[in-house]
Amino acid sequence: MSVMTDSGRDRRRFTAAVLGPETALEPTPVGDRVVRGVVVGATTHMLCLATPRGEERFLYDRATVFWRGGEVRPDDLRDGDDAVVLCSQDGRLVAERVWAQAARATGVIVGREGETLEIDPGHGRPRTTVVLPYRTSGRIAVRHPRLEPGYVFDAVGVWREGAVWAARPATTQPPYPLSATPPRPPTPRHSTTLSGIATWYDPAWGRSSHLDPRARVDGVAYPALDPVGHDADCDRRTSCVPLPLLSAGATPNLRNDCTRDTAVLPVVDCAAADSWLCDLCPACGGQGAGRIASLTMTAFVALGGLLEDGCFNATMTVHNGEG
Amino acid sequence: MLPEIVEAFREVQLPLLAVLLLLGAASKTTGQAAGSGLAVLVPERLRRPATVGTGLLEVALAVGLLALTGLPGDAVRLLTAVVFAASVVVLVLARRRDPEAGCGCFGGLSRAPIGWRTLTRAGLLSAAALATPGLEPAGWQVALAPTALHGWVLGAELLLLAALSPELREVAARTLHREPCELREVPMRRTVRRLRRSDVWRTNENVMIKAEPDDVWRHGCWRFLRYDGMRHGRRVDVVYAVRIGGRRRTGVRAVLVDRGSGAVVASFGAVTGLELVGPPRRLPRPRQAARRDAERHDAARAAETLRAAREHPARMMPDHSRDADTGQPV
Repeated sequence: MSVMTDSGRDRRRFTAAVLGPETALEPTPVGDRVVRGVVVGATTHMLCLATPRGEERFLYDRATVFWRGGEVRPDDLRDGDDAVVLCSQDGRLVAERVWAQAARATGVIVGREGETLEIDPGHGRPRTTVVLPYRTSGRIAVRHPRLEPGYVFDAVGVWREGAVWAARPATTQPPYPLSATPPRPPTPRHSTTLSGIATWYDPAWGRSSHLDPRARVDGVAYPALDPVGHDADCDRRTSCVPLPLLSAGATPNLRNDCTRDTAVLPVVDCAAADSWLCDLCPACGGQGAGRIASLTMTAFVALGGLLEDGCFNATMTVHNGEG
Repeated sequence: MLPEIVEAFREVQLPLLAVLLLLGAASKTTGQAAGSGLAVLVPERLRRPATVGTGLLEVALAVGLLALTGLPGDAVRLLTAVVFAASVVVLVLARRRDPEAGCGCFGGLSRAPIGWRTLTRAGLLSAAALATPGLEPAGWQVALAPTALHGWVLGAELLLLAALSPELREVAARTLHREPCELREVPMRRTVRRLRRSDVWRTNENVMIKAEPDDVWRHGCWRFLRYDGMRHGRRVDVVYAVRIGGRRRTGVRAVLVDRGSGAVVASFGAVTGLELVGPPRRLPRPRQAARRDAERHDAARAAETLRAAREHPARMMPDHSRDADTGQPV
């Protein structure tokens, strides 16, 4: 899995030199309010996180929300939990929202054994084991009626013993297997501004987020990477949004249509599984169908998304330098 | 006259059915036919084998129609009629199972939902095949010795088939509407070919020190290639941008970027977006041009300039001696 590299910066510089500066904008630093790390102490008043900067402490507010597969009390957070903290507007002192052990499994089901599924997220990422606990299996089954190999699966949950314990569905499963997806109709015209939904993924797999530099990357995985110049095979299909082909290092401008937060984020990875789905986001009643980008966990939170919702309606702009 | 027409109609069916079967078989090899026609009715794992099997059967029937005569020929012709009749039943069942499914008759081209036109076409082809048993010549003999009557009958039948074929609309849509260049997947080979044929490449050929690009990336309609280069003893990055589609002459741009300072030292092939003042569309007529020149000519000023130049050959020419419009000496 790639992270933001010098190569991406160079590509941006050269693209700007040829096509003009508006085609390759400088990424906006978005992560001021978002901290990710490992819980080293959680009391009813304060949260201690081990982060790459060292130990950071956060106080709670009366409105602070804690999530660990569902809303929990602050003392339900455990030492060693991977936590994402969204600080309140004032600074990095008071936590507004805390997500612990948040995980997501997006991909195609390749095996099922009782209440355990095996999910293939595509493009060379390791397969994920998903457990459907009795408490949430009904909720999952409403939007995933066919939990059989070949069908698509997308759910948000928590990491537990190396597996994702699904907490809530993040898509409505298409009624056909992935291999029988009907072909998308051809697109007659292209526009530089596209509407759809943005989702999130965890580039560090919930492991040692205080040490792994991938855990802190603010970027997007893009469902329409050009196959040339991309080493790992990105088994993408024709997305249902007419996305322009880009490579790692490109910087689309993304806007959260629910909160109107805007950011320029670099493309750092392939999001093949997002090109397999053509779903709507019920979070704030948008109309745009189809996934346009999959943000890293921290970038998603920084742009105003809620991890448990799994998506927000987004508008993406990619200038092509041709007026 | 009527018996001849009937005979010609019967004979024409042999090559026509063979060609249609071969076209159907060829289009089924593209791999886009899964999930349509017969494949709707079989389980997931048997879909591909079912499509391949149908294609092979079609090839066998086509060869039989073209080559065989006598009793084996009649058997193949009857079998063709049975296959087309069976396909009507299969299509009706497939439509009942999945109303959105295409017929898959011509592979990925037959994506339109199965409708009355497709069903009628299959039924008519079955009837056409049923008319052929008992004919003397084989299909290839009819194809090699066509008469005018054959041509008329064939034309009329092709028109009828075209009216019953939803595939033609798909073919027209594919040829008329090309995918926008932002979405088009283009092999690297084609990009390199376009690059190497361009003036921009030939201009910079001496600068590059490696034949293969160090980095390749894509930005919408443009594919970028970065080469290692050396210019006036300094390392530079030669970055080409090759347009996907569009006009070939303006399709390649390049910049040379100094590796040390990161400054753009040269740029090639960019087309300005500004409106440039072009030359006049038409030259003035000679008499009109002479009159205009005579109006501009100021004899006194010319004489003064000449005298000044003779007296002081090294002196800078005074400003008023230049034409205000063109900047040229008068």
